[in-house]
Amino acid sequence: MSEINIVERGQIPSDAVMLFGFPDVGLVGVIAASHLIEELDLAEVAYVESRVLPPLIVLHEGLPHSAIRIFGNHDILLAVSETPLAADFVYPIVDALVDWGREKKVRTMISLSGIPAQDRQDLKELKVFAAASTAEMLEMVQAKGVEALMEGYMVGPQAVMLMRAAKMSLPAAALLAQCFLNYPDPEAAAEVLKSLAKVTGIRVDIAKLLEKGEEIRLKARDVMKRTQEEMSRMKKGQEYDIPVYVS
Amino acid sequence: MAIKRRRSDAVDFDGYFEGLRREFEGWGVGLMERPSWNLKASTIEPLRDVVVTPTEVVVTVDLPFTKENTLKVKPVDEDTLEISARMRRKVSFKEMGITHYLGEFQSFHLRSRVPVPVRMDKMKIRFKKGMLEVHLPRKGGRLEKRT
Repeated sequence: MSEINIVERGQIPSDAVMLFGFPDVGLVGVIAASHLIEELDLAEVAYVESRVLPPLIVLHEGLPHSAIRIFGNHDILLAVSETPLAADFVYPIVDALVDWGREKKVRTMISLSGIPAQDRQDLKELKVFAAASTAEMLEMVQAKGVEALMEGYMVGPQAVMLMRAAKMSLPAAALLAQCFLNYPDPEAAAEVLKSLAKVTGIRVDIAKLLEKGEEIRLKARDVMKRTQEEMSRMKKGQEYDIPVYVS
Repeated sequence: MAIKRRRSDAVDFDGYFEGLRREFEGWGVGLMERPSWNLKASTIEPLRDVVVTPTEVVVTVDLPFTKENTLKVKPVDEDTLEISARMRRKVSFKEMGITHYLGEFQSFHLRSRVPVPVRMDKMKIRFKKGMLEVHLPRKGGRLEKRT
């Protein structure tokens, strides 16, 4: 048994768009992923199993589930984690997911996440930035009206996903909405979903997400708190740093 | 560490464990985790963040569903703030999908330490879209020196 296994439970489409929603700043990816699952009625098609992960499962309706699962339909695969990935496990898990996606011949990979804005509370409009695995993919997302994140550091699952995809020349992008660093941010999740629609054509009604904003903020406190701890271990604060340009 | 006793002579366990937690945190060691809610008091502990700038300390607290006119922010001592607020409606475990606990909450309660000396008497508060910001000028901070 390899370190990380992806166990398939249902029909896996080929030529799908593979999305990633992992706990990170503002829980943007997880909130957006949950909304996609609900709105598009995505079903669990696979899950991550590993003996090296902490002994944690999630119970839903009394039955055990892996905390890291893949949902899907005929055209979408969505990898989502209900618990923050510990820094030590980000590489093996994300690498395994990207490799699996490649094996399933996905046509593109998109990570949904956030980028912390210090003045988030005062921002009237939230921008979404994109980084991509290839020049062509970056051009495509820019052509769809998403601003590129030209310089800077990226820390966390989306960073590993982009790098792995770049190594394999897979078209991939990370969509990052301006958000609170340490608080669940449903508004930012709504913005990232708007950009996802522009880039991939996957559209969902975000009105319900915004309506449930306060409820989500209340429910997501504990996951946010644990995510803060992992972000701190990952040195997430480095995303604020100004890079030294090395060409 | 001594266990402090209240006037009623009841043991102040909360104070004792809070003291222990602080000491352990100071050593970089975590003490047993506690839930983020208190069923007896029907309170939820909100998420908070503390940012230290050269001139001030900013404590932010996420308080969804809060009735603004019930928000209370008070200094407990020179380095601790106590924040409480009532929610517009009760929230039950059941509503959050939990059926193995029974209970409901209608208030937030939080004690937050401030890591550097501040002027509690100069505290300024802002509350917008369920997010509380408490601004505390630092003692000996640049602003205070200028004035």
